[in-house]
Amino acid sequence: MAKITLDIFRFDQAVDDIPHRDKVALEIPETITVLDALEFAKAEVDGSISFRRSCRSAICGSCSMNINGVTGLACKTPCNTVLRSDGTIAIDPMPNFQPMKDLVVHMDPFWDKYTRLKPYLQPPDRDEDNPTERRVSPDDMKKLVEVANCVMCATCYALCPVVSVDPAFAGPAAIAYAYRFVEDVRDGQTKERLGQINDDYLWLCAHCYACSYCPKHVEPHDRIVDVKRRTVQESVHMNERGPRHALVVNKTIKQTGMLGETEVIQGTVGRFNIRGLLKVAPLGLRMASKGKLPPIFLRPIPKVDEVRTIFESLEVPTLK
Amino acid sequence: MTTLLPEHQVRDAHRHSKSSQTKRYGFFPGCVAKESCKELFNSTMLLADRLGIELIELTAASCCGASVVNDTNRDIARVLNARTYAQAEALGLDDVITICSTCTGHMRAANKELLESEERMTHANAILGKFGAKYEGNVMVRHLLWLLIDDIGLDTLRSMVVRPLNGLKVAPFYGCHIIRPESVNGWESARNPHSLEDLIEAIGGEAIDYAGKTRCCGFHIQLEKGNTAASMVGQNMRIAKDKGAEAVLTPCPLCHLALDGYQQDAAARWGRTDLPVFHLPQLVAFALGIPAQKLGLNKHLIDPRVVLTDRELIA
Repeated sequence: MAKITLDIFRFDQAVDDIPHRDKVALEIPETITVLDALEFAKAEVDGSISFRRSCRSAICGSCSMNINGVTGLACKTPCNTVLRSDGTIAIDPMPNFQPMKDLVVHMDPFWDKYTRLKPYLQPPDRDEDNPTERRVSPDDMKKLVEVANCVMCATCYALCPVVSVDPAFAGPAAIAYAYRFVEDVRDGQTKERLGQINDDYLWLCAHCYACSYCPKHVEPHDRIVDVKRRTVQESVHMNERGPRHALVVNKTIKQTGMLGETEVIQGTVGRFNIRGLLKVAPLGLRMASKGKLPPIFLRPIPKVDEVRTIFESLEVPTLK
Repeated sequence: MTTLLPEHQVRDAHRHSKSSQTKRYGFFPGCVAKESCKELFNSTMLLADRLGIELIELTAASCCGASVVNDTNRDIARVLNARTYAQAEALGLDDVITICSTCTGHMRAANKELLESEERMTHANAILGKFGAKYEGNVMVRHLLWLLIDDIGLDTLRSMVVRPLNGLKVAPFYGCHIIRPESVNGWESARNPHSLEDLIEAIGGEAIDYAGKTRCCGFHIQLEKGNTAASMVGQNMRIAKDKGAEAVLTPCPLCHLALDGYQQDAAARWGRTDLPVFHLPQLVAFALGIPAQKLGLNKHLIDPRVVLTDRELIA
């Protein structure tokens, strides 16, 4: 048995203006999970402590919370892996959400983004016209297995630094779910779905890999790249900045071997997009005043032909 | 499930012997250090000289893919990097040193993909074979930060400091791709890294612990939505400033461009922070006695010489 103090965020939106913290001292085995410790605190010390939980085995996705600054499932986090040297565990609600009561948060923005995707199969034909089974080959199913493990615990959404400053961004889970339907051979709404997720700022993912902490190994960061790639393959919204950026980066590397900063900025914003260029101009001028502007014309690297050979060999994806 | 790289691809275990010979490393500066952050390239070379190591630039290497090439095709970046590794091997340089977090992460990811799958290695070599190159799989990619700590060592660095930072309060900013995903980098904890802190303390500064140190600078979405990117800078710099930071230290030139360039734009939402941002080799080289005027500090938008003067480190 160990002496463990839970330092818990307390707030009740019905009565409190500001949150406070309660320290609950327990004597428990240090190998039990943080969720078990919370259950113990609720049962033995203070029945008013509120938190969401159901399955206790990382399947329902209810108990994601911030544990000593790390967001994850309380039922999958043993106390001894997070215990501070002074024997405390600070427990807070998930970041990027409004707290409702103690560790319970308002999940609405997360569910809204999920529902916008129409998260159900939309086959290309009606069941009446096609009375046979809709079959999926094992190979096609393989693509969906990982993402089907998503339990919608919102850990990735809570960790996402883009969501934290810009709630318009769909967030990792919603995009991973878009992938789940886009890559499903039974679904007939691929382009519509790609259009929708583009409208919800697919390309606003900052490539930070914060969502690589997914407790179910859905690897949302990889799924986001998959959806972007599919968007480019299907030529959806190709005139917007995201796809243009990806294509112009490729183009400059193919031409010079290097990522040409000047060309990438012009190509992404749009060479004739005067308003857009004016928006990036002040920073450009500040950089110019410090002699910090990238070269306008890049000299190709030695043996740039080799780089072009690589691009020409691969421009049609050949390897999964 | 994530799998970790074998230990010898993470730590430089077998190269630790302290020989009197100058150590030679393959050097991959990356695009930004050759374009808008030339001061990073120059201060790296000056630091290497002071440390007595030889960085041999892979001049024919291409861009690492910068995390963007993957958005259109999953194979190109891998094969581009295989070409770079083949060049390093041909020069007898298995140790490739980077000075950019994004290069580190993406080159290591490509290497991991190649080393884990014979099919992918064969596929890459089939393309490299068209111009007579071959990657044998011996290269290890490491960041200069890791080299400083693993190969030079904090004690040696401490003994080389001639201009200690006088307790300058420095906030470390790692840059996502040098720590995440952990399955690719794995050199230190991605949740709670401390190599930059150790380095800051070794050169006489005081490291500031703050929640922003492992967060994202927003660089990759600057052109997608500038306000959002600026806000990511502002949010992190606000926390650092409120914790008492006087300056920021980053091993990544993309983070540098974001943090140095966008604090002004973020001020409307997050208040003025104006924290000067040092490139990793700049601050180490400064502490090791290389004159400030050689380090390109005048190229920064937020002039770091102000805080160095305040601390009586330069006249």
